[in-house]
Formats: sequence, structure tokens, C-alpha cells
Amino acid sequence: MKIRAIALNTFVSLVHNKIIILFSAIFVAVILLMMTPLLAYKAMATRETASEVQSMAIGLVGVIMSIVSGFGSWLSAWAGADAVWSEMKSGTILAVMARPVRRWEFLLGKYLGVQMLMCTYVVCMFALSYLLSSMGGAKIHSSPWVLLVYPLVRYAAYSAIAMLLVMFMHPVVAFAVVLVISTLASIVPPWTGAIPLGPMWFRKILYAVLPSTHLLSEARFLTITQAQLKTVAWTSHLIALAYGLDYALVILLLAMWVFSSRSLLRD
Amino acid sequence: MQTAVIEFHGVTKTYYKPFRKGGIAAVSDISFEVSPGEVCAFLGPNGAGKTTSINMLMGFLFSDSGEIRVFGYPPGDVRAKAQIGFLPENFAFYRYLTGPKLLRFHLALAGKIPSLAGPLIGNLIAKVRLLGYESLKITKYSRGMVQRIGIAQALLNDPQLLVLDEPTSGLDPAGRKEVLDLLVALKSAGKTVFLSSHILPEVEQICDRVVIIDRGRLVRAGRMSEMLSTGDRIEIVVDRLSAELEQWAIQSGATIERSLLGIRIAIAAGLKRQAMESLWSAGCDIISLTPLKSTLEELFLQLVDHGKEPA
Repeated sequence: MKIRAIALNTFVSLVHNKIIILFSAIFVAVILLMMTPLLAYKAMATRETASEVQSMAIGLVGVIMSIVSGFGSWLSAWAGADAVWSEMKSGTILAVMARPVRRWEFLLGKYLGVQMLMCTYVVCMFALSYLLSSMGGAKIHSSPWVLLVYPLVRYAAYSAIAMLLVMFMHPVVAFAVVLVISTLASIVPPWTGAIPLGPMWFRKILYAVLPSTHLLSEARFLTITQAQLKTVAWTSHLIALAYGLDYALVILLLAMWVFSSRSLLRD
Repeated sequence: MQTAVIEFHGVTKTYYKPFRKGGIAAVSDISFEVSPGEVCAFLGPNGAGKTTSINMLMGFLFSDSGEIRVFGYPPGDVRAKAQIGFLPENFAFYRYLTGPKLLRFHLALAGKIPSLAGPLIGNLIAKVRLLGYESLKITKYSRGMVQRIGIAQALLNDPQLLVLDEPTSGLDPAGRKEVLDLLVALKSAGKTVFLSSHILPEVEQICDRVVIIDRGRLVRAGRMSEMLSTGDRIEIVVDRLSAELEQWAIQSGATIERSLLGIRIAIAAGLKRQAMESLWSAGCDIISLTPLKSTLEELFLQLVDHGKEPA
């Protein structure tokens, strides 16, 4: 009951968060702008140029979907960082924590509230993916849950990291650190040697410590040009998702441990 | 023997700033107790360490040393918090909630089912005079209304202990009186109240115990009746006073004030008989004779070192 109340209140609070509203408005504007050439391509297509226009359109769909996915990372990082910090900044945490609520219950409620926001976002992202694919003349032949669960687990890991970091630093700094982590995580896998990141042993350590965005990416199972799901055994999905949830859980427990001995007042 | 509701034993808290040598002692070695059913005033000038102490009492901050117990439990323990109603110094609220929704949220936090608490919320809203504003978001409330909804949330769940940090702050005189009446009602109901306030005459009317701190140190703690003792001075009001008698009174350490009601002579109680005889002999008409009782405000000003740097 208490955790549910905190989670619901956090969700409503995040929906009313001015920064999130601003970011979302900018994001929607960018998506709408990017859809303009997509619609133009479609309108210009003739029988002769159909295949060329379609490949351009599908390329654009891929870019938009990457942006949508990337924005999700931003959103999860900011929501995770702001959910606890804004309560401390405004002082609302005092009246809440004066109730018979344990510190871990409060933090778990906050975390679940952030996940509720991310669920809403992922559902919108999912709908947009199908919409864009159909506009781009492609079909997504995949189990929908892959497009729903993988980003959700990835965002769960990012928001947990942000929640942990905000125990020590300003949310803007925590947000920036999460973005750096997510960028690093995407270029660090030892088998991708395009970007020099030091010796192999260093790369391996970084890969082990950072959340594996590669492993938790739905793009592994989706080729936009073909819009088809690659055939993967269910155990493989299970392992990848368990990894992501495990990572998020460890970070969240770490955040709870730090929070248990932290001042509830803004430093 | 009844266990004290609040116990502070040698509590110390120092704030440290990064990259700064040493810290700022907010509270140093404070010890006091509050018994069940008492209304205790926690007094001190701004920056004395009152809010820090209250934050430690509520488990928001951790003390560096010493021990705090609330209902016998450490601060922050849910068994203690289940019996506490708390009003912070500046009651912060969620901007998007209305008063009843805020109360429902707090009821859920207290482990109650908010949907079954309609009458309770209605009664509390009525008690704090917010009827008619149920659909108004708290962000549109005036300062006094915010304070009143804060008091309502503190009273949810019928707490045994109320911790109120400046409960009358932001309220008009009528609102202040209502809060005082409420505190009196809570006292009659056997609740324990621990409040900090700067309005000493009001505090004096209702409190059983006083704890005064200054610069983080305990200056005085005890029962109000013992602290505001009577008997060391009396006030005699007369219609007139000769120059000779005035001279004698001043030399005896008396203070003399002239008002429309007469001449007020405040003199040591030991000189009562001598003063009365002299006044009678001089033909003065004695209008009244009253033992002077020191006020909480006088005691507070006497004990607290306003603006002086510590030695």
C-alpha cells in the first residue's frame, strides 16, 4: 500500500515535472520534423522510384527509432535522478518520511514510479515504431514483447544508476554521468575496436562494470531494413533480460544502502 | 514508571562542509526528556539548533554522538513513527494535489485504505477551516491555508505525539488562536505535544515543560511552573508618591512606572512590609498589591545571549 502510493505519486509528479514536459515537447517536435521528409518521400514515390524511395524511408525510420530509443535513456536518467532529489529540494520528503515508511520502501516506491513513467514511454515508443514502419512501407515481423521489455530493462538499469548517483551529487551532474556511462557502454564491448579506449584488459573491465547496452538492445533482434525478428532461442532472451534486471537490482540495492544512512535534507 | 515519550541523552550534531576545516556544531551535548501527556515548548533563537534537533528526533538526520529515543525506539523506527504526527517548519506540498488528495496520500502512507477514510478527511478539513476549498490545488492556497492543511496532515492517524515546528507560523491572529485551542484540546485528550515556537506568551499559556537551547547548547529544561517561579518581587500600585518615598524606593532597588491607573512600584518581596507601612504612613492610597511572576519571555531573554559571540 505505502510503496504503491509513493510509486503512483512519483509517476504523477514526474508527469508534472517541467523539465520532463519541456524535453518531451522538444522530442515530439523533432520527431514530427523528421516525419516530414518521410511523408514527402512517400508522396513523391512513383512506380519507377518506389524501391529507392522506400529504402530512403526505411533508413529514416531507423534513425527516428534510434533517436526515440536514445531519448528514453535521457528520460530514464533524468527521472531517476530527479525523483528523489526534487523531494529533498522541496522538503516534501520530510512529511512523507515522518509517516511509518521505511527508507527502502520510499526509494523502492520512487523507483517503481520512474518505471511506470518509462513503461508509458516504451508503450508510446512501441506504437511509434509500428506507425513509422508502416509509413516506411515495412512490416515488423517480431514478437512485440521484445520491443517492449528490452528497452524497459535497459531504462531500469539507467534509472537505478541515476538514483544511486544522485545520493552523492546534483541531479544534473548525475544525469550527465549516466549519459556518459550509456555512451561508454555502447562503445566499450571488446569486440568493437573502432574507437580506441585503451588496452583490451581495460576495455574488458569497463565492459564488466558498465551496463551492457548491446546485450539489452532490442536492435539485436530487429533489422529495420527488413523489419524482421532474428530467430533467437528463448533462453537467450531470458539470460539477457536477467542480466539487465540483475544489474538494475544491484544498483538499486546499493542506492538503498546509501540512502539508509543519508541525511534527508538537501546538502 | 512511565517511559518518557522523547529522550535526548548527550546528543551532538556537527555539520561539515567539504573542503573546509572543522565543522559547525549545530547541537552539543543536549539532554532532556518529555513525559507522556506533556506539552513541551522547545525554544531558542534562530539558529539555536531547534530544527536540527527536531530533524534528528524524526530520523531525518543522524546524530554524531549521544542517544535519542522516541517511545523507546530509535528515531526513524516505523513503530515510533506510527504514533507521531509531524508538521515541518515550512510545510512543503505537492503542487498538483488538492487538500483532500494530499490527506488521502498521507493516509495511504500510514497504511490505511484512503477510500474508506472519507468522513475522517472531511472532519479534518472542517477542523482546519478549509471547507469549500476541497477542489482547489494546494499551490493556490495562501500561506495560512498551507499551514492549516499541514496541521491537518499531522493530525491524521490520531497520533500520540505531535511534533510541531513553528505551528502558528503564517497564521493570522484568529488562526493562531485556533491552533492554540487545538493544542489545548490535544493536551486534554492526553496527547504529548513537542513544539517549537517564537510566540512565547502563547506557548506560556499551554505548555507544561520548557526546553531552551542557545547556540546548540541546552540552557534550561524543566517544568514551566518551576521555571516561572513567583515570590521574589511584588508590585504595589498607589495613587501618589512623595519625593522622599520615591527616593527611598529607588535606593531599595525598586522600579517605578507612572501610568493612568496609578504609580506602579516593583520592589523586592522582602521589603513588602516596610514599603506598605511607609506608604500608609505617608497617606498614599494603595490600589493593589500583586506578587510579580516572571514571564516566559523575560526568562527566555534573560537566558539567551542574543547576537553575542560565544566566548
